Amino acid sequence: MTTFAPYIEYARKAFAREATYRIELIAEIGSVVLRVYLLRSLWTALYAHNAAPTGLPLHSMITYTTVALLMSLVLEVDGTRVIREKLREGGIAVDLMKPIVVPFAYFSDGIGQTLLHAAAIVPSLLFALLLVRIDVPSLPVLAIFCCSLALGYGVNFFVNFLMNGVAFWTLETFGLQLIVRWISDLLSGQILPLSFFPGWFGRAVFALPFAAIYSTPLLVYVGIIPPAKWAAALAVQAAWLAATAGASFLLWRAASRRVVVQGG
Amino acid sequence: MPFAARAAGASAAKNACVPLIVTRDLRKVFRNAKRFPGALGALRGLFSPVYEDRVAVAGLSMEIERGEFIGYIGPNGAGKSTTIKMLTGILVPSAGEVEVAGIVPHRKRRENARNIGVVFGQRTQLYWDLPLVDSFELLRAIYGIPQDRYRRSLDAFIELLEMGDFLRTPVRQLSLGQRMRGDFAAAMLHEPPILYLDEPTIGLDVVAKEAIRTFVARVNREQGTTIILTTHDLADVERLCRRIVLIDHGRAIFDGPIERIKNEYGRERTLVVRFTETTSAPTIPGARLESVEGMTARFVFDRATQRVDRLVREVSDRYSVEDIAIEEPELEGIIRHIYTQGYAGEERSA
Ligand SMILES: Nc1ncnc2c1ncn2[C@@H]1O[C@H](COP(=O)(O)OP(=O)(O)OP(=O)(O)O)[C@@H](O)[C@H]1O
Ligand SMILES: [Mg+2]
Repeated sequence: MTTFAPYIEYARKAFAREATYRIELIAEIGSVVLRVYLLRSLWTALYAHNAAPTGLPLHSMITYTTVALLMSLVLEVDGTRVIREKLREGGIAVDLMKPIVVPFAYFSDGIGQTLLHAAAIVPSLLFALLLVRIDVPSLPVLAIFCCSLALGYGVNFFVNFLMNGVAFWTLETFGLQLIVRWISDLLSGQILPLSFFPGWFGRAVFALPFAAIYSTPLLVYVGIIPPAKWAAALAVQAAWLAATAGASFLLWRAASRRVVVQGG
Repeated sequence: MPFAARAAGASAAKNACVPLIVTRDLRKVFRNAKRFPGALGALRGLFSPVYEDRVAVAGLSMEIERGEFIGYIGPNGAGKSTTIKMLTGILVPSAGEVEVAGIVPHRKRRENARNIGVVFGQRTQLYWDLPLVDSFELLRAIYGIPQDRYRRSLDAFIELLEMGDFLRTPVRQLSLGQRMRGDFAAAMLHEPPILYLDEPTIGLDVVAKEAIRTFVARVNREQGTTIILTTHDLADVERLCRRIVLIDHGRAIFDGPIERIKNEYGRERTLVVRFTETTSAPTIPGARLESVEGMTARFVFDRATQRVDRLVREVSDRYSVEDIAIEEPELEGIIRHIYTQGYAGEERSA
């Protein structure tokens, strides 16, 4: 592989392809706005009864959930889901017959999808602002948030890659998929700040790669991670990125030796 | 001349004496977990899996020279697609050797990919939701085809395959025949010296089939592209291929020119006689009556033991004859015979 041109083209085609599913995108925006409203109502009620843990004022909590939902617009893009689908139907043959590094192509395809979905953030945010007020932090915080989000995006890609890559060994991965999805939703901090979990469990969740996806950028955003700890927090994310990328590389190397192309 | 210069891959095989494609005792065994019926069976399979081996290719040796057009045929499940997958490098052989243009495909998958174009009849490589031309643009980037050369070959394909009308139509709105034409162009945009076609005419009507046949014949003739064609339509083979490789149960049972299989098997000829009046149960010594329909009777005889002139004389002496024709056996009949009766000739005579 000598140039990036094929991968840039993969991203462009993915963008164009996703753009043909206009209704789906509109539905997604609607769903985000609806969830913003529901979670605002939930947290407001919980805080009114003092049932929620303290340490995070209500407006920060609402900011957290709203930003998390906006992030999900790009983080729920799973560029590697195609591995599973293409393995089942044998379509992976077509990609393997090209002079390309196939995981790079899938990553680029994911980037293309992400860019289109990122465009949906703007209308979602505008609608959400009709329902809730969110805090806007200072410029340096926003900058670090963006770096952290980029790292989280990478970790998310490779976690998905590993999960979908299991299909190389067993073609039926739906059950596993569901369980990991569940765990990752809860333990990534997408729904709840991980700082709410008590005791050893609270410490354990930070030791999982999922926290590097949603939690770190969000805690930077709402200020629970202070500037003094930014470097450490981003370093942990980078470490997870390296670890999951390394594992993905090994998985792919093992998989390409045993890939069975179905059908024909 | 519609095509530009030969693709780079050809230089990989420096030595012109070495065949372009070589396989030696090539084997592929699929190992699958055996499934047991019912819910309990599923559990049993989960905890103590029993594996089942299925031999798809069982020691295949063949050599293919540059510029050949091979008909690779055999009954369902014979191992044709499996062989093609090993030649493309996407399936690792269980044993044996394979080399394509000096490259071991599964070791250097990407390098090998530059030398080959592949068309699968039952699978498309085109972007389903995007206009056809978008898939071509992606391929241009993948193979790094310079813009001017891309334009030239795309224009050539648009003309040869008559794709002008649907170039900007989303692929999912194309008819099967249109999509196949798109797939052919996609497989050949980078001008590969080798083309693998796995049932490329499946489901096409006679006109579309003929268009595709004319196209591949031309590519083989004018570009010297080496083509391996897998198909169940023996008219394709008869029309296009000079040599056939016949495989069954993963083994080549015949490899040679079409004429030879015809000579070995096609010793039988059919004498079609049209009488001037309705004749029931006509007979000719030395020929077997196959059917009578109205005033036409069909006799089968062995070309090696019976002389045609004698048979013709016999029949015209005995009956009042309007017309006589002799039919050569069709490849289809011969192949059907081999599939059902087995191949009786010497094995793998080259
Ligand atoms: N992924 C797989 N797992 C297990 N067995 C397989 C697999 N793919 C193919 N086989 C088996 O290998 C044998 C050869 O299959 P292959 O697809 O090569 O046949 P083919 O000659 O292309 O047949 P057809 O003319 O029907 O396309 C068959 O018995 C098939 O069941
Ligand atoms: Mg097949």
